[in-house]
Amino acid sequence: MDTVSTAQPQPAARASTPHGFLASYRAAQRARQIGIVVIVAVGALAMIIPFEWMLATSLSRSANTAMPRIPRLWPADPSLFNYRVAITNLPLWRFYLNSLVVTTTTTLGYLFFSSLTGYAFAKGRFPGKTLLFITLLTTLMIPFEIRMIPLYLFMRTLHLNDTMAALILPFLTGGFGTFLMRQYMTTIPDELVDAARVDGASEFTIYTRVVLPLCGPALAALAVLSALWRWNDVLWPLLVISNRNLYTVTFGLAIAGRSQGIFTGVALANAALAILPIIVLYLFLQRFIIRGIMLTGLKG
Amino acid sequence: MIRQIRKSLVWYIFVTPTFVLFGLFVVYPTLETFRLSFFREVATRQEFVGALHYLRLLTNQIFLAALINTAVLGAAFLTLIIPLSLILASLLNNLRVWPNLFKIIYFLPQITSTVAVALIFSYAFQPNWGLINGALHALGVETLPLWLADPRPGLTGSRAAVTLLAVWVGLGYYMLLFISGLQAIPAELYDAAVVDGAGPLQTWWYITLPSLRPTFIFLILTGTIDAMSRFSDLWMLGGPGGTPARSLQTIVMFIYQAAFENNDFNLASAAAVAFFVIVLALTLINFRAFLQQEFAGR
Repeated sequence: MDTVSTAQPQPAARASTPHGFLASYRAAQRARQIGIVVIVAVGALAMIIPFEWMLATSLSRSANTAMPRIPRLWPADPSLFNYRVAITNLPLWRFYLNSLVVTTTTTLGYLFFSSLTGYAFAKGRFPGKTLLFITLLTTLMIPFEIRMIPLYLFMRTLHLNDTMAALILPFLTGGFGTFLMRQYMTTIPDELVDAARVDGASEFTIYTRVVLPLCGPALAALAVLSALWRWNDVLWPLLVISNRNLYTVTFGLAIAGRSQGIFTGVALANAALAILPIIVLYLFLQRFIIRGIMLTGLKG
Repeated sequence: MIRQIRKSLVWYIFVTPTFVLFGLFVVYPTLETFRLSFFREVATRQEFVGALHYLRLLTNQIFLAALINTAVLGAAFLTLIIPLSLILASLLNNLRVWPNLFKIIYFLPQITSTVAVALIFSYAFQPNWGLINGALHALGVETLPLWLADPRPGLTGSRAAVTLLAVWVGLGYYMLLFISGLQAIPAELYDAAVVDGAGPLQTWWYITLPSLRPTFIFLILTGTIDAMSRFSDLWMLGGPGGTPARSLQTIVMFIYQAAFENNDFNLASAAAVAFFVIVLALTLINFRAFLQQEFAGR
């Protein structure tokens, strides 16, 4: 530490300062870090406590009839009663199955069509490419809310209302996904694609074997976004689904929550059953999810 | 020539599915909304009525109230969340212990569906025993707010409650984007400032804030669009009418109610077009602000 090394300018600079100054600098740094941790931890508690309160209340047998004046974060009378009622009242397994089917199908379709078209825009050469790409960018400006009424009428004409297809078909591809894939694929060197072409590979083979394997981060980010959009959507199911057997988890929870308002314990048990699996999944996938959010700038 | 077309053919096959789906589910319904907004249903026929529905909207108190409501809720949300999340991001960016743990926790409400969160808060805001008033009571607050039961404008009414809810949900996302923005600022800028003898506040004001300009504009832009299209949480809390006393009704809820409760698809379409025009205008204003500054210095 005493020798001045160019590779470590900072420790060298610190070592050359008087010892007392260094110590007080370190103490100040530590105090600052502790201050930051305290503030940030208080905020973090504010994020967790509502979920904790949900759990405590849903696990309390008496929550349906009498709630404590001071909120409790641990149930006074722990019981699974509310969960038993919730499971008998709502076909939650069915809802989960529906949500899984809708989310996986739309997400796989979204990834496939977005990346296929994105590949054509990134590496293809064909008349009308610019015009088509501009058309695609224009559709990015169209919010779902402006087209939902004719979309609903269209589904009604096709007799698709109250089917899974109504929840899947309109979301199989997207302007944002295609745009993101195109942007990502333009960073792949042309030489790589050309080399495969010289070897006689078809464009589809190049797409599946050469380009897609290099698009991992973009595909992961899109998968997270699409899955969150579909899983959390209520507006579209509200329009096209009225058969209870086709409810998704989020939609079923919304309908149940709006109808049985007075049974606090049961309602919060429903909420817990809808939220907890997602939280567990999030804790496992948090690295991908947070990286995806930071890459695309979009949330679910 | 034929060879040229055959070479292009594969690319057309690649773009066809996306554009067919776009045509059916994006372009056609959008144009159809515009068409419906100029027609009226007479028996089973559609009859052209010009701007009639737009005139009806302009004199419709419920629509105008929903419009103002949406704008007020959006403005309150953005004025609270932008400074809060920036402060939080600056703190986390300087934190050396467990920064990732805190990122995960702050993003938690965003990952759970808006509906589930709204359900929890419909109980948390309960005036007598809810989590929030219970905590206020424990802290010794005497007159407890009514929150969602109070439709009056103010800091303790239904609008304040749903704004707190939205800030609580969105904080982690806004914070993450500010952290990305902060990390993209080149360290040399800070070194230069230190060499020039700038203090921490000066550095923050003259280096950090101007460098975050793109992040600000992106967040304000997407935040405005999100606020304009707010639906699920407010529908969950107050139904399509935005109970109590329509204090929570937004434009999208108005569109929903007009179309699916009053069966007036034409009026709803006119409202949807109005919604689209407003969103587009806000987007363009934001873009202009962005481009102006970017090109002003060149």
